Amino acid sequence: MVALARKTLIYEWRRFLPAMLAVGFAGLLQLLQIALVLGIFGSTSVYITGSSADVWVGYPGTQSVGQGRSISAGVESRILMDPAVKRVEPYIWVDGDWRGPHETGGVSVFVSGIDPSPNGLMFSKVLPAALRARLAAPDAVIVDRSVLGQLGVGIGQIATINGHQVTVVGISTGLRALGGINVLCSLDTARHLDSDPTDIGPTYLVAKLYNPAQADAVAARLRGDSAFGPYTTWSASDFASRSVRYWMFDTGAGAGVLFLAGIVFLVGAAITSQTLIAAVNGSVREYATLNALGVGVAALRRVVLEQAFWVGALGLLGASVLGILLLLLARSQDVPVVLNLPAALACITLVMGLAAISGLAAMRSLRRADPATLLR
Amino acid sequence: MQAAASPATSSIPALQADAVSKAFVSGHLRTQVLDNLSLRIEASELTLISGPSGCGKSTLLAILSGLQKVDSGRVRALGSELGQLDMRALERFRLEHTGFVFQGFNLFPALSAFEQVELPLNHMGLSRDDARERARRSLDEVGLSPRMKLRPSELSGGEKQRVAIARALAKEPELLFADEPTSALDAANGQMIIDILHRIARTHGTTVLCVSHDPRLVVHADRVLSMEDGRILSDRRNQTPVIDSKVVPP
Repeated sequence: MVALARKTLIYEWRRFLPAMLAVGFAGLLQLLQIALVLGIFGSTSVYITGSSADVWVGYPGTQSVGQGRSISAGVESRILMDPAVKRVEPYIWVDGDWRGPHETGGVSVFVSGIDPSPNGLMFSKVLPAALRARLAAPDAVIVDRSVLGQLGVGIGQIATINGHQVTVVGISTGLRALGGINVLCSLDTARHLDSDPTDIGPTYLVAKLYNPAQADAVAARLRGDSAFGPYTTWSASDFASRSVRYWMFDTGAGAGVLFLAGIVFLVGAAITSQTLIAAVNGSVREYATLNALGVGVAALRRVVLEQAFWVGALGLLGASVLGILLLLLARSQDVPVVLNLPAALACITLVMGLAAISGLAAMRSLRRADPATLLR
Repeated sequence: MQAAASPATSSIPALQADAVSKAFVSGHLRTQVLDNLSLRIEASELTLISGPSGCGKSTLLAILSGLQKVDSGRVRALGSELGQLDMRALERFRLEHTGFVFQGFNLFPALSAFEQVELPLNHMGLSRDDARERARRSLDEVGLSPRMKLRPSELSGGEKQRVAIARALAKEPELLFADEPTSALDAANGQMIIDILHRIARTHGTTVLCVSHDPRLVVHADRVLSMEDGRILSDRRNQTPVIDSKVVPP
């Protein structure tokens, strides 16, 4: 079989280049948008995904990690009674007002009070053991590399949170937050910084199970007991997606993503279909000749669709290469970007769908390939 | 698919038009292109339809080859009533029985001469080897074997038209339609094309119907029909058409 579609694409690549660029850039835009959104909103659950706890215990109705209220310290013993639980530790969230040594004004910070012991669960995946150990010192805090400028501090310098002096003892990476800045300290330091007299216990309790696969079942059976005051439980993955969902939908960001995806699709399809239509028009006499010789319209349509497919595939290839380079660049600059398999598949579907729609539009101009017009 | 008709069976015409009329309407203007025209084209002959431009000869070719429908009248090709075939059946009929050569060569810029010829054969249900063998033979017959790897941009006008003829010929059609095949070519190349067309009618038993106002063609045709205003004015037979085959390189 003579590969008419492919040979034409290679020989007349200049003709198809605009379509490939349109498809490629539409794919790239989409890819970066999804990666950024996942990265930014994923950072709202870094407290959960960066820790090795399997079950979270917090105040009933909490919509995202940053909105917790304190629960009774007595709940800890209730959790520990469950035979599936291996370890429980408190996690204290304090909203703080940061004053740095330089003129930065007041900066809103999220103070995370965590267990600084080597087997601590909180932030175990993002905080190296040596750095964590430094938190054991009184009034020691760790801040993220990406926010040093905003906080106006360097390592070893002194600042105040809620009027109490703290010392920066270390710098972490990958702990960027949305709507504020994360500051880590020990549980003791956090209690010291908490100026709210109504906080009587930890904001959360986090638990490690012997078998992490049981997280959902254990979370379910720990729920509903009110002997120690109000609390509820979530498996870690539930609570993480709950936090991300809150930010995606309650902030309108999700609708924005879908809207932009629609625009990107329309613009990409418009350019791509116009290019393919021009390519078909450029060969319309040849197609008409083939039809005169008895090659069916269906076979000619397949040629156009195949060209659309290759335009999509090559555009996708270009977008992937460029996308990976840009994502690596973003990572190196602490821009939160995350790309997972469903998001990548969504991009591929969008790009190939765009190419298919354009191919179908271009197929319509084959109607002009009427062989009778060659006899005039 | 093999050419069935031979000169001995010329009592059955390859093409037959009975009282065919065709008009084109453009706005309020109605132009009668063919007016109650009847015609028989015998098998295995090179028939030339000549006449001034606008006389309806190209429309007649389109109608006889099944590319256009008639307003009234009947067209029979190889015993099939073309008016009764739907679009798919007409495509099938053309695929199996007809070849076309147009004034513009209409070759795909991206394909080599060999691929241009092979492409329609792929759609005829031939095996890959059969299709390639036929393409090779066909290009050899028009003297283009040495240049079959070249693309249209590397071929002269005459060579392109020979590729177009090879493309039509490789299908081994019973009917070959040619529309002004020489008008874009110089004298030597035009002569070569005329000669190839004539040889196809002789050696393959193909019915060749050629539309042209090129006077050089007249002496080479078996039969010459002159048209004007949608009617046939004269119908003349050449007893010994001139054949000059030495022009074609081996």
